[in-house]
Amino acid sequence: MTDIIRGAIDTDVHVEPPSIDALRPYLSGYWLEYLRGARSQLGSVYGPSLPTSARPEAREAGTFPPRTYEALLAQLLDPYEPRAVILNSVSTFLAGQNPYYQAAICRAVNEWLRDELLDKDARLRASICVPLLDPEAAAAEIDRLADDRRFVQVLLPIRSDTPWGNVRWRAIHDACARNNLTLALHAWGGPATTPTWTGYARTYFQDYVANAQLIAPPQVLSLVIEGVFVRHPELRVCLQELGFNWMPSLMWRIDKDWKSLWRETPWVNRRPSEFIAEHFRATIAPTHFPSSATASDVAAIARFLNAENFLLYASDYPHDHGDDGTRLLLDVLGEAGREAVLQGNAEKFYDLQLAPTG
Amino acid sequence: MTTTELSQTEGPASGVKRKSRRATLLIDGDVHPSYNVQQMAPWLEPDVLARVREFGLHAHGVPYPRVRNGAMRLDSRPEEGHELEMVQRQLLNEYEENIGILIPMAGHHWGAERADVAIPLCHAINEFICKEWLDPEPRFFSTLNVPMEHPEAAVQEIERYKNDKRFVQILMSGTAESEIGDKKYWPIYEAAEDAGLALGVHEGANSRQRMGVGYPSYYLDEHVGMHYTLSSLALSMICEGVFEAFPKLQVVSIEASISWAASLQWEMDSAFEMLGRELPHLHAKPSEYFREHFWFTTQPIEEPDDPNDLVVAYELTGMLDRIMFSSDYPHWDFDSPSRALPATLPTDVRDAILGGNACRLYGLDPVTAKRR
Repeated sequence: MTDIIRGAIDTDVHVEPPSIDALRPYLSGYWLEYLRGARSQLGSVYGPSLPTSARPEAREAGTFPPRTYEALLAQLLDPYEPRAVILNSVSTFLAGQNPYYQAAICRAVNEWLRDELLDKDARLRASICVPLLDPEAAAAEIDRLADDRRFVQVLLPIRSDTPWGNVRWRAIHDACARNNLTLALHAWGGPATTPTWTGYARTYFQDYVANAQLIAPPQVLSLVIEGVFVRHPELRVCLQELGFNWMPSLMWRIDKDWKSLWRETPWVNRRPSEFIAEHFRATIAPTHFPSSATASDVAAIARFLNAENFLLYASDYPHDHGDDGTRLLLDVLGEAGREAVLQGNAEKFYDLQLAPTG
Repeated sequence: MTTTELSQTEGPASGVKRKSRRATLLIDGDVHPSYNVQQMAPWLEPDVLARVREFGLHAHGVPYPRVRNGAMRLDSRPEEGHELEMVQRQLLNEYEENIGILIPMAGHHWGAERADVAIPLCHAINEFICKEWLDPEPRFFSTLNVPMEHPEAAVQEIERYKNDKRFVQILMSGTAESEIGDKKYWPIYEAAEDAGLALGVHEGANSRQRMGVGYPSYYLDEHVGMHYTLSSLALSMICEGVFEAFPKLQVVSIEASISWAASLQWEMDSAFEMLGRELPHLHAKPSEYFREHFWFTTQPIEEPDDPNDLVVAYELTGMLDRIMFSSDYPHWDFDSPSRALPATLPTDVRDAILGGNACRLYGLDPVTAKRR
């Protein structure tokens, strides 16, 4: 199973409210009545029966991902003593097609994160959940929470019906930038998005592989080529649970086309790969290397990618991606690269303002 | 050497040294002839042509303006009726190419029309290719167009041409109406395997694509992103068990670059270690199907700062013996046979990419260039 490294900065840990009832304190009368009639529950992109949804110790704990501070403490914080943790609650990806309901649920989950987790442990940070069908409402939610610097990024699913760099999403780009928040693109998508280029996955296997192999590369292209980083030179994007070994190929190809086609998008005024290297980071869980991958395979990708600068440690707790080469990756990075990936890169990228390690 | 402007300096007068120590044939795996519906007239019933003229065709791609010259090389505008002569001069003769594989991509769109239009149009372009390209120029082989959304008719079209050795593969679109691994298309795969023909899947497609992402605004974005139609296709075919059912079937990924293939194989195998129980009909790791059934053409070749990185990236795919040179003539991002490949490729690998691998796939004699 995926290795968890002690004492690191863990940039992708999953938590969810225990049930929709736990959100009642944060919902207005209209939504309480709506829920009572509709019997809606929180969605999950990680079905409990799926092998990848939980590591053995998480499965033994009964419910996963952690739904209380006590569970998070017992399963992750106590045994692995991370310096800091970024919490992701992705159930809001599946909060239906009603944009107002999405907004209400995202606001409620964000408040739940604050009351039940962030307030209880100084090591915790979180991603802001935002409604996906109403960019203005998403921007308002970002602005509402931005003064609380424990929220370090804005969480979007990697799948979309319009690429994330498109002008349609400008309100979200602008809100991230004016509040100095990272944009996080995380595996999976909302209820009306599909994983393959022509429609449905027929297997969970395809659904799983599609996130990084089919969907993430064009989203990176979109953010760079639409000029998001020209409008917002300080904006940062973190790719979460999306692997990274596909990135060098993409960088080589986009640079090549740009040399000839730059006239079409003259605002892309440097090589596209330079925008990627400067503005993007990727979490290392999963690495998407199989057990048959060799140190030289991993080292080649690490060199192409300048991995000691590009990657951020994450456990992706409680998910289990198998023997995915995390240790192999950390070993090939060397001492300084390893330390950067485990701590320094995330501390700097998110400006985490942590107390110095003793 | 990829830009339109630069390629113009490569004419005979520029003194470019041709590679004379080439040990094998030079085979170009991606050459595009032009065509239009009007040219199909000799092979169409008048009422079909009249209907198409009046009501148009409907299975379109999504238009992206190409900024300059409609995606063509600046020097590739033949006078009417002189296209073949231009291609012979600018490509076959200029680079001493022994064989060019034609890829008319009509089937992507025409093959998805209503049956009474799709079937005659796809047949017409095959006849057009024979008459205008294959009959007058023996250095050309071609890709067969089939009405892929009407598989029974596609099988008939394959049967009709399977003894014409000049057709070496069957054009499939990466963006079919259903998932490409769906059993709907299996009759085509069965006929291809029986006929010993590969499937050629060229990037570029109908508007049914990019469903998990959405459409980009610019050609620059679309042109690179489209490679992932091939990843999507490979994933679907492997997962649906196409290669268990058709163990000899071969698939050529055309104009979709290559270096992504290492990452796809790693992730498929990594996922298979956790999720393989969901795919009990697979009897090998996904990467094994991929390595035994997929081939690539080189253009648009990736250009890392250090060309040797591309050699390493090719090696990481584990498929060096399945990479075939292509120029994509006459498009703006033409790759030159004499300059595109990294200089540090070992000579034997280079020769195999320039011709040997294509000889193996297409059953071509490496000395006489005749097809077995």
